[in-house]
Amino acid sequence: MANYFPRWTNLVPLKIAVCIGALAIGVVTAFTYYATPKAQRVGYMPDQPIPYDHELHVTQLGLDCRHCHSFVEKSGHANVPTANTCANCHVKGGIKSDSERLAPLFDAIESGKPIKWVRVHKAPDYVFFNHSAHLGRGISCIECHGQVDEMRVVYHAKNLSMGMCIECHRNPEDALRPLEEVFNLKYSAADYLKKNQSAADQVTAYMSANNLDLELDDKGDAQKAMGLMLKDHWNVQPKESCFTCHR
Amino acid sequence: MSKRKWHHPEVPAEERGTKVWRSAGELEDTPGLRQWVDREFPRAAEVMRDEDDRENTRRDFLKLMGASTALAGLGLASCRRPESLIVPFLDSVEWTIPGKPTYYATSMPSATGAIPLVAANYEGRPTKLEPNKQNPSANGVSSMTQASILGLYDPARSRYFLENGKSIGRGDAVKKLGEYTKSGNFGIVFGEDDSLTRTDLIAKIKAKHAGAKFYAYEALAGAGKKASDAGIFGKHAVVKADFAKAGKILSLDCDFLELDNQGNTKAFFDRRRPEGAGYNEDPVAYEKQLNRLYCVEPTYSVTGGMADHRAPLAPSQIGKFISLLASYAGVGTAPATSFSDTKTKWAKACYEDLKAGGGVVLLGSRYAKELHDVVYKINEALGAYSAGVLTARKGKQHADLGTMEDFANDAGSLETVILMTAANPVYENPILGSGDQTFTDFVADKKLIHWGDQTNATANAASLHIPAAHYLESWGDGFSGNEGVYTVVQPMILPLYGGIQELELLVALTQDKVDLHDSSDANAVSPAYDAVKGVFEAQVKPGGSAAAKLDNWNTLLRTGFNAEFKYEAASAGAAPSSTIKEEVEPTDASKPDIVFATDYSVLDGRYVNNAWLQEAPDPISKLTWDNAVYMSPKTAKDLGLYEDIVELEKEEKAWWANLGIATDVGVKTTPVSEDGEGPSLFGPMVNVKVGDQSLEAVVIVAFGMADNVVSLPLGYGQGYDKHWKENFIGNDPDYDINTANVSSVGVNAGFNGYALRGGSDYYAGGISIEKVADRRYKLARTQEHHSMYGRALAREISTMPTEPDGHDHQKDYKEQLATVRKHGMDSHAPQNVDQYKPVGNAKDKDGNKIDREHLWDKSHQWAMSIDLSTCTGCSACLVACQAENNIPVVGKVQVAMGREMHWIRMDRYFAEYQDHGHSEGEHKATNPSEDWDKPLEMIPNPVACVQCESAPCETVCPVNATVHTEDGLNTMAYNRCIGTRYCANNCPYKARRFNFFDYNKRNPLLHKNLYKGPFGEKQEGDAKSLQRNPNVSVRMRGVMEKCTYCVQRLQSAKIDAKLSVKRGVQKSGKPSTEFKVDHEMLMSPANSVTVACQDACSAGAIMFGNLLNKKDDIQKTKALRDEDQDLPAHVQGEFKNPRTYDLLNYIGTRPRTSYMARVKNPNPAMEGATNVGRATINMH
Repeated sequence: MANYFPRWTNLVPLKIAVCIGALAIGVVTAFTYYATPKAQRVGYMPDQPIPYDHELHVTQLGLDCRHCHSFVEKSGHANVPTANTCANCHVKGGIKSDSERLAPLFDAIESGKPIKWVRVHKAPDYVFFNHSAHLGRGISCIECHGQVDEMRVVYHAKNLSMGMCIECHRNPEDALRPLEEVFNLKYSAADYLKKNQSAADQVTAYMSANNLDLELDDKGDAQKAMGLMLKDHWNVQPKESCFTCHR
Repeated sequence: MSKRKWHHPEVPAEERGTKVWRSAGELEDTPGLRQWVDREFPRAAEVMRDEDDRENTRRDFLKLMGASTALAGLGLASCRRPESLIVPFLDSVEWTIPGKPTYYATSMPSATGAIPLVAANYEGRPTKLEPNKQNPSANGVSSMTQASILGLYDPARSRYFLENGKSIGRGDAVKKLGEYTKSGNFGIVFGEDDSLTRTDLIAKIKAKHAGAKFYAYEALAGAGKKASDAGIFGKHAVVKADFAKAGKILSLDCDFLELDNQGNTKAFFDRRRPEGAGYNEDPVAYEKQLNRLYCVEPTYSVTGGMADHRAPLAPSQIGKFISLLASYAGVGTAPATSFSDTKTKWAKACYEDLKAGGGVVLLGSRYAKELHDVVYKINEALGAYSAGVLTARKGKQHADLGTMEDFANDAGSLETVILMTAANPVYENPILGSGDQTFTDFVADKKLIHWGDQTNATANAASLHIPAAHYLESWGDGFSGNEGVYTVVQPMILPLYGGIQELELLVALTQDKVDLHDSSDANAVSPAYDAVKGVFEAQVKPGGSAAAKLDNWNTLLRTGFNAEFKYEAASAGAAPSSTIKEEVEPTDASKPDIVFATDYSVLDGRYVNNAWLQEAPDPISKLTWDNAVYMSPKTAKDLGLYEDIVELEKEEKAWWANLGIATDVGVKTTPVSEDGEGPSLFGPMVNVKVGDQSLEAVVIVAFGMADNVVSLPLGYGQGYDKHWKENFIGNDPDYDINTANVSSVGVNAGFNGYALRGGSDYYAGGISIEKVADRRYKLARTQEHHSMYGRALAREISTMPTEPDGHDHQKDYKEQLATVRKHGMDSHAPQNVDQYKPVGNAKDKDGNKIDREHLWDKSHQWAMSIDLSTCTGCSACLVACQAENNIPVVGKVQVAMGREMHWIRMDRYFAEYQDHGHSEGEHKATNPSEDWDKPLEMIPNPVACVQCESAPCETVCPVNATVHTEDGLNTMAYNRCIGTRYCANNCPYKARRFNFFDYNKRNPLLHKNLYKGPFGEKQEGDAKSLQRNPNVSVRMRGVMEKCTYCVQRLQSAKIDAKLSVKRGVQKSGKPSTEFKVDHEMLMSPANSVTVACQDACSAGAIMFGNLLNKKDDIQKTKALRDEDQDLPAHVQGEFKNPRTYDLLNYIGTRPRTSYMARVKNPNPAMEGATNVGRATINMH
């Protein structure tokens, strides 16, 4: 019988397997790198018509988030300020009114055509996220938007993937904080408990009732203890069924 | 593998009892119907017929796969996220919070009084109309009112000034308006609505132009009743009924529950419930509460469907019937020819019952004045006026508007006629005056100015057409309800298409130099605003300081009405001495009476371009997109048409066969061809001749009609294009192509009955009718779509004891009440024990089971109950659902294929009692209308997704796109659905709808547009999309959808409850860490959550609420099932009201929507009273 296959073909199956393996790894890596929300969204930092500086206004000047995003506690949608909100301070002849950077604001007011801001955070059409619901139950801005108070130009800090939503809905104790501290972007549970004896007592009582062994001086532990206590006392039960966000 | 077929329960032949059916095909139980109902989405082309077919399909599939793979490679090049913008307002807008609706009170002017409304606005665009519940005259929102919001955004609305149908510039138009009205000899024709500001402006115009004259006209508003009321109580007096005081009502062809408003019906419905208005009383003690409705009418109306006793009678005989009643009442002489014995007995028993107290007779508004005069006397004799059942009222001020008779008399002196009526007089073209001159004859030599929001026949015929603003873009006022309460009309949005408001035009006519307000300058204040405000300050709330005036005005705008300013009681003058001329009774089917009916979809034709209304099935016939000639089965048999309709249809092709949209058009694969009601529904044509006018139209067999009577709804056939002939098989019809007067919605819809009407208002006798042999017409009816027939679905009981017989002992009312849950299969079939384990299988990160059971929410468990005692089947809920949930319209062809998207299906059953001894064939569908003691009933049954606790659809979804929520909803994640349609196949309620095409994206109303794929015309982003509810996904092709209890409203209610807890925390001043929140604090307040269908329902038939909230009204009809009990023990459910039952309880789906059996309250003195309300009681 003739030898149909030459000797070198013995290695062909192995070569094919290696190639396919490499290809598969390549596809997975490429997909993760290019096509997941983490890769596609995080770091998105578009140019805005007016280079508004959050760091300056929030950290240095002490403006509250709600000064501009005024309906965020009332509506599902966090509104972007109207031109007349800006013009409360930056009125003609007022603060920095001769700055070139503010020219689009005055153009808008004069022409009557609103400023077109570029959207940074965007949930898909079929996701019905509600800002007021989250703020009302002790979830802070930074959980999704990152340290906006330190951003000179706003960028997409977290991936806002569905996995991120579900992770937090499963373990809300990692994010829950007192309602008074929701807009405090420098909040830390450990510091809060040091300053508020009554809250510390509540947490301690809760821990002993539930046999929790957590160190309140530790940053992570303090948040967890505080979060678990609030979750229990406020009856926080984040839903995981689809209609929570999709309808 | 063959499909396992469910065999529908058989009703043994010869069994005594009541037969229930939806259509002629079902009544005759044709094999074709059985095949039609076996499929969820019947469609011939989906059936693969043989091996060749299969092979072709496989190849096509592979070809497509190859092509799409190749395309995918090209498509990958750009997957970067497109830049999107956020554009905030320049200046903050008062009350507007982005993302939250703002509600404004307004009202819709109508011939029967202003309809008080609240409009929801998102960022300045109105999206949904709700009743203004603060106004005492508010009572639901009818389908036409609801759909008027689509009219606002209609891209085909008039937007240009026209001169003889050709567009002219604004400047020219204003000049022409001034020119035509300069002499002052003009007549203005208004609608029949009443407006205080308009009255004021009319006085101003009169002061300026002595020759100006004013009239009111609407085609079907009921000239007879108006004339009679005016004769007795003075001009502009309106007689309305107070149904709270009406214990016994006889409706003589008066559809007072829907199209022929005679007063607020809320009290009527409150008295239809044996438990009373709030379900607070014991249903066993029904006597003090339940009213009784008699109905005598030629054709079924929704009011007739509610009747306890209903008798079919030709319209020409209504006068004779009134004479008979008048003779009983002693206010007239008996008719010369007598009725048959059964009828006389019926009338006598009915009159005695009315006489016993609280009785009132209501006559259809469109009957002649003389008949109304006699009915007035009968009502006097019954004491209806002295008891306050009927009251006449009129406004303090009213313009002296003439009738069309006055118009005919004055016509000689008028140079210009200004039409400001909502009607379409050139199309309707009524005969006016004593001769045979029609409206167009009268205006032939005059300048005709038309103000309207449609470019209809009148607009195109006018010398000058002025585009009108919609009422949601206008300032105005009106009077609502029985009491005639002053209500305001306020605009929600600036005119989208530059329309002119009614009051703006009138203000222009008071000026020296006529000029129209230009709304394109958003800062200019409309003169209509000043006019309404001025009249309000001068007449409605006169006096006060400037601050008080502003306060009053703001209060009016906020509440929408001023209850202090209303109509005054009018006192009766001398009773008129009218006599009723007796008319010949029609006895020959070829020379019947014809009824020119008002249509449930298009009213008098004004809504012909409204796609929601066109697609909403007629409540009685379930016909969409068309009108037809209706006749009783006997009349159809006599004319030789019944066999054509009911017996097997000869066509083996589906009726979309020659549209070229599908290659496989054979109907089913079995040797039995389709019956007349399925996809090959071709109606036979008849030629109707009235006088010298004739019309060819399609025929539908309608049950419960009087024999030798045909009925033709008006308002259709306003324009045809070249595709009209594709609706016919056989010879092509003869017709003119004219699309100028209709939009793409109203084109090719039905037949124009106005051509036949001539001078008669409501009916004509002695017409001739004959079958057209060689032509048939395609119809789209939904009555057999999604059918669940053959089961005890819409249950009925009656206050009369049942007749005892061999099968059953006599059951009195109490026992009937107790056994509501034992009708049909539930009487003997044990309930399925479902395999759906209540314990969820969610696990946390460490693999521990999370302690969350199925339905674990302790704050909210939603449920609905639907009371069949008050549901009329009017379908307002269906249209409200469409408005709320962004449900697309699919068009006539798709409806015929069973692809309508309405989430609510309004089933309508007919039921007829059948005696012993009648053999099947003898009694089938004959129901001669002579048999007044053998009533034929109509029972509506709205079915949407019932939110099963153990839902069969969920277990079969391969991608978990339909899942249960913790608060009891069966939800759809639309973005997850891949369109396998398994869920729809497994749904026993057939409540799921599938998007076969991108109905939202591509305009389904254009010819074959859906089948052109990417080349089809798109409608994304046209004006209609502004109506969309931003809180609901717009579903795309290939996605299953269904009712989710308005989940967007539930979510926002839950969030509101959480935010109110937060506000409580903030108010208390204590640190939030010290707060404890329990389940009850997170509950929404009792009865605060309403769903769209519930808000729209004027009958209050739909209750919705939270089963965990003890204060919620739903508790009175339904309670939570006890989860801890072992299953078979709570098979019956823990319902608190004995009338409550579940649809298909025996299959064990445990639905959250339950129904309440209809209670009929027949008069024991009537013949055949024991047979009333027996639709399901003998079903096994």
